[in-house]
Amino acid sequence: MLPLVSLTIFTPLVGALLIAFVPRDRPQLTRWVAFATTLVTLGWSLVMLAGFSTSASGFQFTEDVPWIPFFGIRYQVGVDGISLILIVLTTLLTAISVLASFRPIQDRVKEYMITFLVLEIGMVGVFAALDLFLFYVFWEVVLVPMYLIIGIWGGANRIYATIKFMLYTLVGSLLMLVGILATAFEYHASTGVWSFAYQDLAGFHFSPALQVFAFVTFFLAFAIKVPMFPFHTWLPDAHVEAPTAGSVILAGVLLKLGGYGFIRYSLPLYPDAAHTFAPAIIALSVIAIIYGAVVAVVQPDFKKLVAYSSVSHMGFVTLGIFVFQSQAMQGAVFQMVNHGLITGALFLCVGVIYERTHDRRFANLGGLAGRLPLYATTLGFFMLASAGLPGLSGFVGEFLVLIGTFAVAPLVAGIAAIVMVLGATYLFYMFQQVVFVDLSDFLKGLGDHLHDMAPIEIATLVPLAALVLLLGLFPAPVLDMIQGPVSGVLDHVSHGVALGFLP
Amino acid sequence: MSNQLLVLALLALPLAGFALTAAFGRLLMPRAWLIAVPAVILAWAVGMVLVYRTLSGQLGDGFAFTLYTWIPAGSFRVDVNFAVDNLTAALLIVVTTIGMLVHVYSIGYMAHDPGKWRFFAYLNFFMFSMLLLVLAGNYLLLFMAWELVGLSSYLLIGFWYQRRSAALAAKKAFLVNRVGDVGFSIGIWALWTTVGSLNFSDVFRVIPEKLAAGQLQPWMVTGIVLLLFCGAVGKSAQFPLHVWLPDAMEGPTPVSALIHAATMVNAGVYMVARSSPLFSLSSSAMVVVAAIGIFTALLAASIAFTQTDIKRVLAYSTLSQLGYMFAALGVGAYAAAIFHLMTHGFFKGLLFLDSGSVIHGVHDEQDMNRMGGLWRKMPITHATMLVGSLAIAGIPPLAGFFSKDEILGASFRNGFYVVWLIGVVVAGMTAFYMFRLMGKTFYGPSHVDPDVHPHEAPPSMTVPLILLAIPAALLGLAIGWPPEAGLVHRWLDPIFAPAEQTLGLHPEAFQVFGIDGVLVLVSVTLATAGLIVAVRLFGVRLPGRDVEPRPTIVEAGTARLRPLYVASYHKWWFDDVYHGLFFVIGGAVAQGAWWFDSHIIDGVVNGVGAVTTLAGRELRRIQTGRVQNYALGIALGLLVMAAGFLVATTR
Repeated sequence: MLPLVSLTIFTPLVGALLIAFVPRDRPQLTRWVAFATTLVTLGWSLVMLAGFSTSASGFQFTEDVPWIPFFGIRYQVGVDGISLILIVLTTLLTAISVLASFRPIQDRVKEYMITFLVLEIGMVGVFAALDLFLFYVFWEVVLVPMYLIIGIWGGANRIYATIKFMLYTLVGSLLMLVGILATAFEYHASTGVWSFAYQDLAGFHFSPALQVFAFVTFFLAFAIKVPMFPFHTWLPDAHVEAPTAGSVILAGVLLKLGGYGFIRYSLPLYPDAAHTFAPAIIALSVIAIIYGAVVAVVQPDFKKLVAYSSVSHMGFVTLGIFVFQSQAMQGAVFQMVNHGLITGALFLCVGVIYERTHDRRFANLGGLAGRLPLYATTLGFFMLASAGLPGLSGFVGEFLVLIGTFAVAPLVAGIAAIVMVLGATYLFYMFQQVVFVDLSDFLKGLGDHLHDMAPIEIATLVPLAALVLLLGLFPAPVLDMIQGPVSGVLDHVSHGVALGFLP
Repeated sequence: MSNQLLVLALLALPLAGFALTAAFGRLLMPRAWLIAVPAVILAWAVGMVLVYRTLSGQLGDGFAFTLYTWIPAGSFRVDVNFAVDNLTAALLIVVTTIGMLVHVYSIGYMAHDPGKWRFFAYLNFFMFSMLLLVLAGNYLLLFMAWELVGLSSYLLIGFWYQRRSAALAAKKAFLVNRVGDVGFSIGIWALWTTVGSLNFSDVFRVIPEKLAAGQLQPWMVTGIVLLLFCGAVGKSAQFPLHVWLPDAMEGPTPVSALIHAATMVNAGVYMVARSSPLFSLSSSAMVVVAAIGIFTALLAASIAFTQTDIKRVLAYSTLSQLGYMFAALGVGAYAAAIFHLMTHGFFKGLLFLDSGSVIHGVHDEQDMNRMGGLWRKMPITHATMLVGSLAIAGIPPLAGFFSKDEILGASFRNGFYVVWLIGVVVAGMTAFYMFRLMGKTFYGPSHVDPDVHPHEAPPSMTVPLILLAIPAALLGLAIGWPPEAGLVHRWLDPIFAPAEQTLGLHPEAFQVFGIDGVLVLVSVTLATAGLIVAVRLFGVRLPGRDVEPRPTIVEAGTARLRPLYVASYHKWWFDDVYHGLFFVIGGAVAQGAWWFDSHIIDGVVNGVGAVTTLAGRELRRIQTGRVQNYALGIALGLLVMAAGFLVATTR
C-alpha cells in the first residue's frame, strides 16, 4: 500500500529539488518541470479520490510515525471526505496556477516555481495533518511562500500589501500556537499523557477556561484567514498586488484553510466555547455577506471587486459552519469548493485582461464582447456561477447553507438572502462594464495586443468551467463524501453547551 | 415513444439546438437558423403528441417520473423530476406553438443581423428553460428553470449589447426579477422546513393536512404563499416590480413577442395556478393576489394611453392583461386565468410580431408619431394586427372576449365587485389604447420619413402572422364555448377542483338571460365605447367606412386633462422614484460603506501598524547584546506564562 497522503504532500518537494538543478537559462524547462510535478501531485490526490470509500467512517489512508516522542508529537496524516475534497481542490488549483504563470512570470522563474511548489506542500499538509502540532507546522509553511510570491512578483504597492498580510496572519498563527500548547498542556495535566493527536483531543472534555482561551486564539487565526469581517482588510490589498496565480491560490485555497480549521478543530475540540461564541460569529458572518457585497458594488477596480466578493461568499462558509445544522454545514464545505473554483476562475479572467491592458479599472474597459467573444463568454459563465445561478455549482452551496440556516434561524437566513440581489448587482455591473457597450478608446489604442484567449489560457479555464457545471448538475458525489464527516463534527458539537460568559 | 421519452425529447431538442448553434453557429452563417429552427419545429411536434395524449385523457391524471437525484444532503433531497398533467399540457400548447412560429418569423426578421447565430442559440436556450419550467415536478427545479428563463431574457434583451440602453435594460430586468426571487426562495425554504420535501405532490398533500391538524398556523400558510407570490410579481412584472418589462423592449421584437408577452411573463401566473392548493388555503393571500393584479391592470392601462413607442404600448398592455390573470387567480377563477393566459399568448404574440413587421417595414422606427397610413403598404400586417386588436379589446366572438369575460364574470359572482368594476373599466381602456395604436400606425396621414419606403414583410414573417391570427380569432370559440363549460374547463376543472373546494365555490350554470348575460353586455358595451372613441379620434380605414383622425380634439382633450396626461406619460414616476431610492441613495450607502472600510477599519489596522513601528524603534534599545539581559527576559517571560497557565487551569 502506497503512502498516498505523504506522496501528495511531498511530491512538490521532489519537484522543487529537481528545479534547483535546472540551469537558470532554461526557464521553459523549469516551467514544464514544475507543471509536471503539480500534475503528478494532482494524480496522487485523484488516486486517493478513486480509492476513497464514502461509507467507511473515520480517516482513511492514515500514516502514523512518531516525530518528537517526548511530547507525543507524531507525523500523523490521513483524510476524510472534507479534507480529501479540499486536497483535490488544492492540487487542481496549483496545477492550473502554475500553468497560468507560464506567460505572466518572466522574472526569476526558477525561484518562483520553487516557491510555488513549497506552498503546495504546506497547503496539502494543513488539510492532511491529524496532529495539532504538525498542523501548525504546515500552517506556517504556507505563510512564507505566499509572502514571497506577493512581495517579489507582485504589483507596485506590494511591500505594503505583504507586510500587512504577514503581520495579520502571523499574529493569528502565533496566538494559535499558544492555544495549541495550552490545549496539549491541559490534556497532559488531566491524563498524564502527552498528545497532539486529533483523535485524542477531539471530544475530550476540556475545561471551560481552556476552551474559551483556545477557541479565541484559534478563532483569530482562522477568522483572519477566511477572512471574516472585520479582519478582512488585508485581503483586497493582497489580491490587488499579488500576481494572478497568487490571487488564484490565495482565494482558492488559502481562505479555505480558515473554514477548514473551524470545522476540523474549533468545533470538535471546544464545543462549549463554540456554542458560546456562535451567535456572535453568525452575526459577523451575516455582516460579511451583506457588507462585502455592498462594498463590492462601488469598486472601480476589477480585481478589488472580486476580492470583496470573496468576503461576501466566504461569509456563507462561516455562517453554514456556526449554525450547527447538517444541511448548512454540508453547504459550507460545498461552498468552499465552489468558491475555490469560481473565484479562482474569476481571478484568472482578471489576469487575462490585465495581461493585455495592464489596467483593471472599469472606466478603461468595455465592449470586449465584440473583440474577445470567447473571453466574454467565459467571464459571463463564471459571473453567473458566482451569482448563484441554479445549475451551476455556486447555487448548491449557498442554497444548502441558507435552507439549513432557515431551519434553525429564519430571520438570519432572510437577511442573508438579500445578497441574492446585491451579489447580482455587482456581478452584472462588472460584466456590463467589461463586456458590453462599445470598445473603449483605451482598448482601441491597444490594437493587436488585444486578442482573444490564447490556448494556454483556455486550458486553465476549461477544467474549472467543466467542474462548475458538473458539480452544479451532479453535486451528489461530493455531498456524499462530506456528509459523514459533517455529521461526525455535529455530533461533537451537540455535546457542547453555551457557557455563561465568564467561567 | 413512451411518455417519459417524449418529455426528455421535448427538453433535449432545444437544448441540443442551443449547444450546436452556440458551437457551430458561426460556420452556418448566413443560415444560422439551420439547426435551431428545425429543433424547435420537432419539439413542437413532440409537444403536440404529449399534449394530445394528456388532454385526451389517456393518461388519467397525468404522470410523473424522476430522472435522477439532484441534491442529496442528508434529510434534504431534491430530484430532477417531471410532472405532466392537463395544466402542463395547456401551457405546452402555448409555449411550443408560439415558440415555433416566433423562430420561423425570426429567420426573416433577423436576416441581416451579423450576430444572428447568437440570437438563435439564445432563443433555443430559452425554449429549453421555458419547457423545463412547465414540466418541472418540484419547486426547486421550477426555480432553476425560473432563473434560466430569466437568464435567457437577460441575454436577449441585451442582444444588441453595443447599445448602452440595451445593456442597462437587460441588467435591470435581471435585478428586478431577483428582488422577487428573494421572496420566492425564502418561500421555498419555508416549504421545505414545513413539509420536508419540495415535490408538488408532497407539498399539496402535507400542507392542508398539517393546517387541518393544527400543526401549522394559518398565518404561516399566508406567509408562505405570499413569499412564493413575490416571485410571481417579479417574473410576471406586476406592481411594484413592473418596471423592468417596458425597458425589456430593447430586445429584438421576436423576443418581445415570445418571452415578454406570450410565455416567460406567464410563468408567475402558471406558478400561482400550479400552487392553487396552497393559495386557496389563505383567503387573505388570495385578496392580495387579486388586488395586486387588478391594480396593475389599471395602472398599466393608464400608462398605455400616452406612450408613443409602439412596443411600449404593447408592453404596458401586457402588464395590464397579466394583471387580469392575477385578478382571476385571486378571485378563485383559476381556469379562467389559464384560459386568458392561452388566448393572450396568441393574440399578444401576434400583436408583437405585427409591430415587429411594422418596425421592419419602416426601417427600425418605433415611434408611432413617425408612422401612419401604413394600412395600404402592409396589408397582411394590417389585417392580422386588426384581428389581434379586436381580440384584445374583447370584441365578440374573438378570443379575448371569451377569456376576459370569464374573469370578469367570476369576479362578480364570487363577490369581488371592486375587481369586476375596475375590470370592466380597464376593458374599455384597453379597446381605446389599442385603437389609438392602430390609428396612429396604420390610418391617418403618413408621418413616415420620406426617404423610407414602407414595404410588406417577407413570407417567413407574414406566414407566422397569419398562422397566429387564426387562434387569436378563434381560440376562444374553440375551447371557451359554451361559456364556463368549454373544452378548457373540461381540461382544467379537475386540476383546480381541490382549490375550488377549499374556497367553497360552487360552479353554477352560465345564465345567458340572467346575471351573466347582463355582465357580458356591460363589458362589451364599454369595450365598444372605448373602441368607438378611439376610432373617432385617431381614424380608421375599413372597406366602406373611412374615419379621418381629429388631432385637434385629441390635443384639446389632452390639455384639459393635463395632470393625468403628464402622470401617464411619465409612467407615474416609478422609474424616477426607484432610481432615487436604489441608485442614488443606495449608491451613497455603498460609497459610505467603502469609505468606512478603507478609513475606519483599515485606519485602525494601519494605526496599530504605526504604533508597532514606533514601539519597535523604541524597543530597539533593549537589544543590548548582553546575554545576561536576554536570559533575564526569557526567565521573566516563562514566569508570566507559567503563572497565567496556573491561573487558567486552576479556576
